[in-house]
Amino acid sequence: MFAGAAKLIQENCDALSQLDCIGGDGDHGAKMLRVMEKLEAAIDPASERGTASLLKEAGWTIMGVDGGASSAILGTLIAGMGDVELGEEIDCGCIARSFDAGLRAVATRTKAKPGDKTMMDALVPAVEALGAAASAGKSIACAMSDAAAAAQMGAESTKDLVARYGRAKYLGEKTLGHPDAGATSIALLFRGFSAALAPEQEN
Amino acid sequence: MKKFLNDPKRVVPELLEGFALAYPEKVRLSGTNTVVRANPKAAGKVRLVTLGGSGHEPGLSGFVGTGMLDCSVAGEIFSAPGAPKCIEALREACAGGKSALLVVLNHAGDVLSANITMEMALREGLNVKMVLTEEDISNPPGDRRGLVGCVAVYKVAGAAAEKGAPLDKCFEIADRMQRNMRTLAVAVRTATHPSTGNPIFELGDDEMEIGMGQHGEAGTGRMQLKTADETAEIMLEKLLEDLGVTPGEELLVLLNGAGATTLMELYLVFRKVAKLLESKGIKLARSIIGEFITTQEQAGFQMMIARMDAELLELWDASADAPFFAKP
Repeated sequence: MFAGAAKLIQENCDALSQLDCIGGDGDHGAKMLRVMEKLEAAIDPASERGTASLLKEAGWTIMGVDGGASSAILGTLIAGMGDVELGEEIDCGCIARSFDAGLRAVATRTKAKPGDKTMMDALVPAVEALGAAASAGKSIACAMSDAAAAAQMGAESTKDLVARYGRAKYLGEKTLGHPDAGATSIALLFRGFSAALAPEQEN
Repeated sequence: MKKFLNDPKRVVPELLEGFALAYPEKVRLSGTNTVVRANPKAAGKVRLVTLGGSGHEPGLSGFVGTGMLDCSVAGEIFSAPGAPKCIEALREACAGGKSALLVVLNHAGDVLSANITMEMALREGLNVKMVLTEEDISNPPGDRRGLVGCVAVYKVAGAAAEKGAPLDKCFEIADRMQRNMRTLAVAVRTATHPSTGNPIFELGDDEMEIGMGQHGEAGTGRMQLKTADETAEIMLEKLLEDLGVTPGEELLVLLNGAGATTLMELYLVFRKVAKLLESKGIKLARSIIGEFITTQEQAGFQMMIARMDAELLELWDASADAPFFAKP
């Protein structure tokens, strides 16, 4: 699942950096590439350690990428996911709870909410979609597909927002008309998860 | 972009390596992307630690040395270092019961890293306090970035630490300096990001932008390029008003070139600043011009004023020996 996300980020890293030129200094794609390299390496399916422990360590390693706010937030998300114990049998409810724990960890670090033109605009809808899908008894693949769609909508909605956090907030109205790079990379992340979990389905 | 580079992905470790090789009697590398004093101070003295993105050389590692910083954790270009390296640096600095003052410049990534780091440090029982610098007046209070003023904080708090002041006192000095300083920046030409080669902002040929941040963040005043005198006056007036400076008070004035602005221009700007202060009966107690926190080859400068008292002046005057800040 993480490998799928990594591949998608790799393919889109130039586009991400381009987006970042408007609100930032144009290096978001490169940063995300470094984050995904660490994430992919850390989540080793062959490892004997529990997933939760791997996630905590992966989150910490991501912070070590030194990518400013982006890696701090993503690292917190992944490490936060490790707050939930994942047993041998991972079902949709587990996945939803795990991402929810990650989101709650992020919320302790930032006051940014959907509408502020940040990663949260994609992350919050994605996690909510996972929760809703789990409650409705959907499969993991379906749930992740819902999450990816929600994240995509959230990211696209940032086009019409004025940035209120991070470096971009100092640009004010100039950020209008362009989606947020962070939200876009979260959408790509979930699209990658979804693609990896449902190879037979059309994306 | 015409810069002397090797592999852009390796720029930070290589630049730090070059820096440490050039000043081995003052600094050395520790861990990854962390610069420490070559000769540590006595164990009982407070350590000054800072963190920040690279690409602003000599900031921040150039201020590691006697009477200033003990440790500087460097991030990638324009990106704060993550909590892992920062907590490592604090553990090193505080090992064996020593204390440290962490000076953080207010930028989103820096604050995120610092908060995670401080939580861990306090949980581990490390003796650390944190000071946040936020003196840029181009945004309302509560939303202000930390710019070149950090150098003054490093100097006075560093001097206090070197004299043997305890952590609470070092914090109080740093905090007092922070609260009494104000900075405003102006940019006239963009820099290019060394990793991407892209310009970090856009500005018309005859435009300048007052209030621009250290990474190309927009300011509040885009306007036609004015003369050195006019620009100096606009900026100084805003700074004096924001700091509430009254006649008879004593100021430190620091001019910081952004990287491509010539000393010639900074001298012209300073001339006007000095004359204006005199006409207002405000005492120019200390002054310094140079490139402390640059933004690659950006053209522009930061103007920093600080209200000084007898104690801060004494600490400002104390000797220091860092590669890019030395006083006999």
